[in-house]
This record gives sequence, C-alpha cells and structure tokens, in this order.
Amino acid sequence: MIPLAHYLILSGILFSIGLAGVLIRKNIVVVFMCLEMMLSAANVALVAFSRAQGTQGIPVYDAQVLSLFITAIAAAEVAIGLALIVAMFRSRRSVESTALNTLKD
Amino acid sequence: MIETSICQIVFYVFALLAILFAICVVGSRNPVNSAMNMALSFGCVAAILFGLGAQFLGIVQIIVYAGAILVLFLFVVMMLDLKDEERNTGSMRSAAVGTTIAAILAGLITSISLSLPGATEISCPMAAICDNIGELAPGAEATQATPTPGYGGSLPALSPAAAAKAVQPDISDAEAAKATSMQDIRLLGQTLYTQYNIAFVILGFALLSGTVGAVALARKIRKD
Repeated sequence: MIPLAHYLILSGILFSIGLAGVLIRKNIVVVFMCLEMMLSAANVALVAFSRAQGTQGIPVYDAQVLSLFITAIAAAEVAIGLALIVAMFRSRRSVESTALNTLKD
Repeated sequence: MIETSICQIVFYVFALLAILFAICVVGSRNPVNSAMNMALSFGCVAAILFGLGAQFLGIVQIIVYAGAILVLFLFVVMMLDLKDEERNTGSMRSAAVGTTIAAILAGLITSISLSLPGATEISCPMAAICDNIGELAPGAEATQATPTPGYGGSLPALSPAAAAKAVQPDISDAEAAKATSMQDIRLLGQTLYTQYNIAFVILGFALLSGTVGAVALARKIRKD
C-alpha cells in the first residue's frame, strides 16, 4: 500500500535534485538536463493527484492532459534551448555559464 | 498480501533508482554520462507512471524524454565536443549553497505532503500491476472512491467497468462489468479533444513556432 504522500515526496525529491543541479553546475547543457528533470518531477505529482482525486474508479484526466502539455512544451523548449546553446557556443566558444558576463563588465 | 508487498517493492525500487540516477546527472563530470543517467532516471519515472495507471503518459515519457530529448542532448554534446570544457565543475562554496537550498526545499515538500489530511492512511497498490481488475461491480466503487476529504492519502482503485461506461454510455452494466482493461488512452483522448481542444491546437502552434525558432537560432549567420 503506497500512500499519495510517497509519490509527492518522490516528486519533491526529484525536483530538488534538479534545482540543486541548476544551482551548482556551470555547464549549461547539464543545467538544461536538470531543468528537464524538474519538469518530469512535476509530471509525477500531477499524475498522482489525478489518481487521488478520481471518483468512481476513473482518474481525473484534466491533470493527465496538463501533464501531456508539459511534456510537449518540454520537447519544444529543449529544441529552442539547445539551439540557443549552439548559438552561444558559436559566439563564445564555451558553454560555461560563467562565460555569460557581458553585462557584468 | 504478497502481491501488495511486491507492488510496494517495485515502487520503492524504481523511486530509489530514479533518485540515484538523478543524483548521478548532477554529480558526473562528463556531460555524456549525465545524459545517459538522465535517460535512466526518466525510464524509472516512466515505470512509476505505469504503476499509477497512466500507461499513455508512461509511454510518452519514454518516447519523448528518454527518446527524443536524450538524442537531442547527446547530439549537441557530441557536436560541441565539450570534453575539455569540463575543467572547473564549480567551487565548493556554490555546491554547498545549492545543496542546502535544494535540501530545504525537499524537506519542505516532504513535511507538507506528510501533513496533508489523511496522507499516510489508506492507500492503493500500484494499479497497473496488481489491482484486482474486474472485481468491482459498476456500482460498488462509488462508495470506495470518495472516503477522504480534500487531498487525502488514499489513491482510489481504478475501475475498468466505470471507464467502459464513460467511453460508451449506452452499454449495459453487465457488459461494462466484463471490461478487464482500463481504457486509459481513450478517456485521455476524450478529455483532450473535447474539453481542451483549443488548447491542444494552440499547443500545435507552439511546437511549430518552436521548430522554426530552433532552426532560425541555430542557423549560421552570414556576415555579408
């Protein structure tokens, strides 16, 4: 018997690991991977709530539709983000986030 | 009872593996290793989604995340040849600060989830693997499904009979009771194409503009 809380805790831990990666890593490609992990952690919570709020044996499909939208938007976001990373590498020959300091100096 | 404990073991093993692979994504120095660990972590998340009875989303998770997104990441990592970029993985101080913030967030989420009304009381096994599918009569699950107020801890059991009724309202109760598989994709599609039709079309436009934008951004800018 697995309570809803355990699914939520799993989702929260995955989200926190993603957040830690975004904060710690300097390589923008890895930062981007961590962003994807945060999105998929949100999916777990959404699907768990869709099961938990279901009545008469049918899950609430609105949450699952939202989760599907998140997946589709994540795919589009990866395409654009990686294109941005490629453009950044072309202009700066680096994908470290510390290389983005034009506004600083 | 034995089946229940197997379900628990399956869930906790996959949850632990997902967390471990996610930590490897953050921890490994080589971006290729990070990408591979990310795919494994997404695979474990997909298994957990299967266990929640969301088969379609599990399949989408594997196809989109572990398939398409992983290939894009690997393609970019190998195209940019990042091997020598990974010299300084960040100072110890920023690592400590990041870990602390993430740990605080994880603790907050854990305590909030555990303090939900009825969060740890009743529960359901991983549905797709070991629910006693077909045992519930169409009328019987209504009492079972809504005992907890708000976001309670119980995940109500799925009922294929009720799903069959929702897909085809005109079939008889006896026929609905014969349904053995959850018509997950059909119900999801019903919601997607009726209630969220316009949002779905707009999503298509978002994907199209994303594709065009990616091509425009990654294009070589000609100097002349």
